[in-house]
Parts: sequence; structure tokens; C-alpha cells
Amino acid sequence: MAFRILIVDDSPVMRAFIRRIMVLSGIEATEFLEASDGQEALDMLQHQWVDVVLTDINMPGMDGEQFVRRLEADDLLKSVPVVVVSTDATEGRMHQMLSLGARGYVKKPFLPETLREELERVLGGAYA
Amino acid sequence: MPDNQWEQMLVTVAEEVLETMFFTGIYGPAQDAGPEDLPRFAAGVSFEGAPCGRLTLSIPETAARTLAADFLAAEGEGGLTDAQVGAVVCELANMICGALLSRVESGEHFRLSSPELVPAGAAPPACQHHRFLDLGEGALSLWLRLENHAA
Repeated sequence: MAFRILIVDDSPVMRAFIRRIMVLSGIEATEFLEASDGQEALDMLQHQWVDVVLTDINMPGMDGEQFVRRLEADDLLKSVPVVVVSTDATEGRMHQMLSLGARGYVKKPFLPETLREELERVLGGAYA
Repeated sequence: MPDNQWEQMLVTVAEEVLETMFFTGIYGPAQDAGPEDLPRFAAGVSFEGAPCGRLTLSIPETAARTLAADFLAAEGEGGLTDAQVGAVVCELANMICGALLSRVESGEHFRLSSPELVPAGAAPPACQHHRFLDLGEGALSLWLRLENHAA
């Protein structure tokens, strides 16, 4: 099964790197969508459905924390699983983001298989 | 935390980031000083929390282009623009800083600024902690300044 994946990160090179790593790790994607902050991602999600969102936390504009809060407050969009991909791997931050509604957390730096395993876990049976 | 522990942690996280995300390593032990006479890319990230401060790094242009090509899987070093190489150097600074702070036992959330390029030729920052790591094509220079921090 292939997925539509939205990558939210203010760094174009990190978005490109994540796309590359997902391809390298064998994650099948029909399409990669990209947004540079939470607001741009929310705007995209009003018009396009995705299977999973990967988001950074520290971004100018709407950051990842605000983005997850807004998704969770939306009756339709809160069903979209969110995986945080961030350099911030403090226990407090991870707990906070998962409490807000993020389904997974991958800390940078990460190995390709780490990202794949987390996506497999979050997407569950859909990944079979 | 004692000064030598900060410096050891800085080296450890830099090595981890380079190996995991840039598919390269460090040659030999970290040094206290390194050559600074090559054209370089430099970037800095400020952080707030306990402690707050700033991480700055610089890297020779040749090594930066190789790292960027590896990171982006670019065909040939000449294919990347200065802006792309600079963005990768900024991301390197961001990841090293974030990974470093994630190892600090603190009750607070850290807040990182967006990484920014430092003008070429700028004087090295005045910092408590600095290490130089040999990448084979030159030294990655790391400086860490900590504020409101009790050693």
C-alpha cells in the first residue's frame, strides 16, 4: 500500500532529506506534499487528504506544537496521524507532543529504519 | 556540569549527527585548536532554557560541499548552489545543538532559534567550549557559549 505523506519543516533541505530517507527505507508513497510551517500545512489539509503528517517543532510562523493543537481541535483533521520529527528529544517535550495528540516521535539524528519503524507503527494495519 | 563534560558531549553528538545523517565520520580525536585559514561556511543557533546560549560551527567550503552532497544525494559537488550548501550547514548546526540539549537534564523545554549563516570571515565567537573535529577535508569547528550556567 502506498501513502500520501505531508512533510512540515521550515528547512527545504531537511524536507528533501526526509523524502530521500523514506524512499531509501522502502516506504511507498504515492505523493509527498510539503509545507514550511503549520499554517501552510493546515491550509493544504483543507483541500487535500493525506495518510500521515511528519512535522518539525521549531518553525517560524506556526510551530509544530500549535499545529498539532489546531489539528486536534478540528473534528475532521484530528484523525490524520502526526509523527513529530525533531531535534528536541527531551522527555518533557516528547511527552508534551504525544499528550497533545501526536501519534509518534522521531528524534534527529535518526536512522532510516527508525523512521520506517515509527511510520509502520503509526500506520498500523494500513502498512501491510 | 563540568566543562570537560560539555566538551565531550559536544564531540559525541557531533559524531552521532555526522554518522547518522551525513554518512561520514571523524578522523582522530577532537582537538583544542585547528587551522582557520580556509574559506568556510559558518552557522549559529541560539537557544533559550536552562542553560541558554549559542552554538556556532564553521566548516571549510570543500568539506561543506561534500557534506551537503551526501546529505542531499546530489550528483557531483558542483551541482549545489551556495544557498543549498549554506542551508545544509545550518541544518547541521541545528541538529548538533538540538541533540546536545536533549542530553541535558533540565526541567525546562529548550527553545531553539532558527539556524542562521554567519558571515564568512567573522571572528570566532568568544566561548567557554570549543572543539575541532577532523573531517578529512578540513576541521569542523564547534563553539558553545553558555549563559546562566553553573559549572
